[in-house]
Amino acid sequence: MRTVSVLRYGLGALGLALMGLGAWLVTDQPDPLGVLVWLAGALVLHDGILAPLVLAVGLLLVGRRRRGPLRGALLVAGSVVLVALPLLVRPGAPPNPSALPLPYGRNLAIVLAAVTVVTGLLIAVRRRRECRQGRVPADG
Amino acid sequence: MDGMTFRMPRPPRPAFRPPAVRPPAFTGRLHDARTATAVGRWLGAAFAVCLLTGLVSHYLQQPPAWLADRLPARPAWGYAFTQGLHVATGLAAIVLLLVKLWAVYPRLFVWPPVRSVRHALERLSVAVLVASAVFEVLTGLLNIVEWYPWPFSFVPVHFAVAWVATGSILLHIAVKAPEIRDHWSRRSAGTEALPVQDAVDRRSLLLATGGAVGVVTLTTVGQSFTPLKTFDLLAPRHPDHGPQGLPVNRTAAAAGVTARRLAGWRLEVAGPRPYVLTLDALGSMPRAGARLPIACVEGWSVGADWGGVRLRDLIERAGGRPGRDAVRVTSLEVSGAYRVMEMGAEYADDPLTLLALTLNGQPLTLDHGFPARIIAPGRPGVLQTKWVQRLEVL
Repeated sequence: MRTVSVLRYGLGALGLALMGLGAWLVTDQPDPLGVLVWLAGALVLHDGILAPLVLAVGLLLVGRRRRGPLRGALLVAGSVVLVALPLLVRPGAPPNPSALPLPYGRNLAIVLAAVTVVTGLLIAVRRRRECRQGRVPADG
Repeated sequence: MDGMTFRMPRPPRPAFRPPAVRPPAFTGRLHDARTATAVGRWLGAAFAVCLLTGLVSHYLQQPPAWLADRLPARPAWGYAFTQGLHVATGLAAIVLLLVKLWAVYPRLFVWPPVRSVRHALERLSVAVLVASAVFEVLTGLLNIVEWYPWPFSFVPVHFAVAWVATGSILLHIAVKAPEIRDHWSRRSAGTEALPVQDAVDRRSLLLATGGAVGVVTLTTVGQSFTPLKTFDLLAPRHPDHGPQGLPVNRTAAAAGVTARRLAGWRLEVAGPRPYVLTLDALGSMPRAGARLPIACVEGWSVGADWGGVRLRDLIERAGGRPGRDAVRVTSLEVSGAYRVMEMGAEYADDPLTLLALTLNGQPLTLDHGFPARIIAPGRPGVLQTKWVQRLEVL
């Protein structure tokens, strides 16, 4: 076998071994089935909820000539919403006054507003640049 | 489906045929190996950082016996750095993971779902990868807001599944090695075979991904890196929120420590020459100061000025040998996994390790561990024992 193949199979074998180690550590837990349910739930969360949601939002971009800035804005906004979501929907009071101390709904709105403004500026700057380039005569 | 009618003439009943329902085909751009490779590299790096910093945290908290006395106390900001990095990188990995998976949607939702045994095995390994990776970032994200909706204990399970994720990533890299190599750079053969007009669009997507990581990091990292606290809008902690200018993880009420339990408090020091000190006697010992962070496993850290008595002085007075003896510290708290804490010899001997009595110039409040707490350089916050009642030279 060539060195590259040896490395590749070695890496694969190491991967399998570590997966085995992890599985063994999981079975060592008092409730391995609970972990399994949550692992399957993670898969369903992505494939069954997040991905269809992303595809649905992606319909906004279909047929646009320049989808870059809008797609970027949606990507940034979606990421921020996802990271902030547990802060907003966590049930129960915060564990103590110094945990979760900020007005997260308002802060999320601020971040989303900033994303909107920056995206608007980017689109405006790009349009202007294109207009100006369009007006330049072909012979300079 | 426009113009289609459902009132069709009933055909003669055929032999069984699978229903002709299938998911829509992906016609969008950038679901290609170059995009997957470009984002996958960053995701791989992020998971590697998470694994390494996670291992640091794991073994600082639960060192095997041979390591306990060798763990270095310096740099004093070490744990604040590694754990802040762990959480910040984990949050960044959420963005990278979702974009990486987006790039391979056509494969995740391929039809028919399984073509051959080989294909089934490959899909199974990818399912394990997706499940364990999403599991890790999800449990981590909920843990930092102290939300535990699952039926298991977070620390050992997050640790166990980290190995599953690491293993499945390595396996995935091994399986995909030829494709990764073919799309490693913009000039790689596989990349050049892709439609040229996608290159600009792909760059825009990668820039947006970087932007998303940047915004998520900027709006959360202030909880670990105080100079950026102005932008800390969406982190579970903020450096300015907490009694005496320092956040608290476990309040006195949560730990069952009340003024009544503290009445008649004495510090017991066990060793070859055991002794007992009142708070006044403790306060009249030679004082020392240290500027050290409280660095929590949830990723936040805030520096503070501590004043108190050096732990090594207390050990020496009990006949212990600083630099060679470990110390067991017992808290007054009623229950809790960290009521009894052991500290390796390196930490116990460090001149910055204090039995602290003051925080930022004021006597400790009850929530910060009054009358006396441990503060040591480079250790997880859960090991900075509060409401200390007993020290024992080991």
